[in-house]
Amino acid sequence: MNLLLRGAAIAAVLHVTPAVVLVKRPDAVQTLLPGADSYLAREVHLSDPDAHRLHQLVDWSPDDGVLTFYSGKAGGTGVGALTFARVDTPHGPIEVAVGFTPQGAVRGVVVTKATVEMKAWVLEAVGAGLVERYRGLKPGDVPAGAAALAEHTGKLAVYVAGEVDKGVARALAAYGAFYNHVRA
Amino acid sequence: MLYDLRRADLPIKWLVTCLLATLGISYVFGALMVSLYAGFTPERVAATYGGRAMPMPMPPETTMVMEHPMSMTEFAKPEVHEVDTNLLIQDTHVHVPMYGVIAAALSLVVAGLSLSQGWALALITLLFSAPWLDFAGMWLTKFVSGRFAAFTLIGGWAMGLGYVAVAALAIQQMWFRTRGVDR
Repeated sequence: MNLLLRGAAIAAVLHVTPAVVLVKRPDAVQTLLPGADSYLAREVHLSDPDAHRLHQLVDWSPDDGVLTFYSGKAGGTGVGALTFARVDTPHGPIEVAVGFTPQGAVRGVVVTKATVEMKAWVLEAVGAGLVERYRGLKPGDVPAGAAALAEHTGKLAVYVAGEVDKGVARALAAYGAFYNHVRA
Repeated sequence: MLYDLRRADLPIKWLVTCLLATLGISYVFGALMVSLYAGFTPERVAATYGGRAMPMPMPPETTMVMEHPMSMTEFAKPEVHEVDTNLLIQDTHVHVPMYGVIAAALSLVVAGLSLSQGWALALITLLFSAPWLDFAGMWLTKFVSGRFAAFTLIGGWAMGLGYVAVAALAIQQMWFRTRGVDR
């Protein structure tokens, strides 16, 4: 039966949305937490009211109710934190890694995953300087990468920048509301 | 019967053969995609559609934090491709109509085969019900229990079986069966 099920799986999930890794997670971590030599995963399990609060802020809350942040230290000194935010679009999911400085500003954004279809649009948007637009943003700020790219790139790159904006907005809202305000 | 693939003109037989070959190629690459993104066991399918095992069955009354050390190796671990509700809605919206078109195309081939009415109805039912079972398994896995991943696997198996049956019968009847056929 197990063999049957394994064989069945081969023909089964013909509809899995094909994601491509643009930047591997370890590379994104090293970029966004430079110099860190130890890491801590901080899983925030949201209560229903807090999940609702996050949803009101950014029209999203995690499906499993858990926000995960990763903090990094270099020789005992904190170098910041990062989180991975996923945005589901009609063209498949995009994942962005958003890194924060110890002062709580965005240090950088890396688009780590997209779909085969969107890869070229993402590369065009990133090549046009999309991720630099987010540097220095703080919780409460509104990411406006798409607006900044509107005059400089094609429509599909602007579209994908809008989706990256959503991911950054989610990360900003989650970080601002829950990273430092809930005790372990 | 007017529509009989055994007696069809050569261009029609060639059309059906090309259709089956094209669908066959797409199924083979579908299998490769499964190996890349979903895996080959009920557990992997359950993890893909049901999400990671939740450490808490219910949301806590107040928001809680758990911390644990991470190594760079853990960041590099292969990730489970998770399909959340929004993505499953999208997948269902995009793929179910296409599965319907594929089932309809294969059913049209079935209608042109020399089969008893019972076998033809059974094959057509299989062609349409397999993707229903496939997607029902995904939704039930997400919202009821990971055990329903077996439905998705069985649905996928049934899709493959339906395709192989139709392709084998069609090729055999169109190109190899000559006895008892008026030309």
